[in-house]
Amino acid sequence: MSNDRDILLVSIFTFFTVLSWIFFEVVKTTRTTTVTTNVQQIITPLSPHIDTDVFTILESRTSY
Amino acid sequence: MEGQTQGRGERYHRYYRAIEPMLKTPRNRAYTAAVFSFLAVSLFGWYAIRPTIQTILFLRQEIEDKAIVNQKMEDKINTLIETQAAYESVRPQLNLIFEAIPPDPEALNVVTQLRNLAQNNGISFTNLTVSQVPLLGADIPATGSAKTTKAQEGNFSFSVVLNAPFSVVKSFVDGIAAMRRIITIDSVSIVPSQEAGVAEGGKLLRLVLKLTAYYTAGTQFKTL
Repeated sequence: MSNDRDILLVSIFTFFTVLSWIFFEVVKTTRTTTVTTNVQQIITPLSPHIDTDVFTILESRTSY
Repeated sequence: MEGQTQGRGERYHRYYRAIEPMLKTPRNRAYTAAVFSFLAVSLFGWYAIRPTIQTILFLRQEIEDKAIVNQKMEDKINTLIETQAAYESVRPQLNLIFEAIPPDPEALNVVTQLRNLAQNNGISFTNLTVSQVPLLGADIPATGSAKTTKAQEGNFSFSVVLNAPFSVVKSFVDGIAAMRRIITIDSVSIVPSQEAGVAEGGKLLRLVLKLTAYYTAGTQFKTL
């Protein structure tokens, strides 16, 4: 009688272990990005603004 | 042979007869069904359901990521077009940057400019020493580790010694600070000159300047 209950408990624990393992694997899959590092570098935003004050400052300086 | 087979059959029959009464009780049937159900679900869950769910989620994630990447790429293309337009608008003024920080060391140009500055102030150098300068921007000194080479890349040091009154010294140092070619003053040493005589602006001082000039040392601007 006790033997039956033990086997049932082992199978239940196995079931929940597998279930939680599947859950964490699925979470890991959803959290992991599929974008490669190279692509991430390529899509890095770029500012089109050029600081034109530099030209004004350089123009005010003297070239001997 | 026949006897062996018969003996094996009898043994299995004995096992079956021993198990049969156990399976007939409802309690044992329920336990067995529950145990095998849990084990079956676990087994199929791990070997069949998990890979399928993972593949589905991976593909969905990939579609979302590709859409985001596509959007960002389009944004970047637009930004690059804007940047190109901004660059074209400032292209005529780029020579100012090349004068301030040229692609090559142009040590002679620095020396000439300093000499002209000194002449404008009515003085001449007592001594001018330029440290090792690569003739081409890409030259790498034969000695020294890669780290040292990288640290020295893009600038060279030189020193200027001259004798002049304080007002001229000040004017000369101000002139260096206002030069278009970017030069930094690392150290300034002013001591009374050993030379005899007093100049127009006061007593002669010996000025020792340690300076650093910069260059881009590569194709940073050339490729634009």
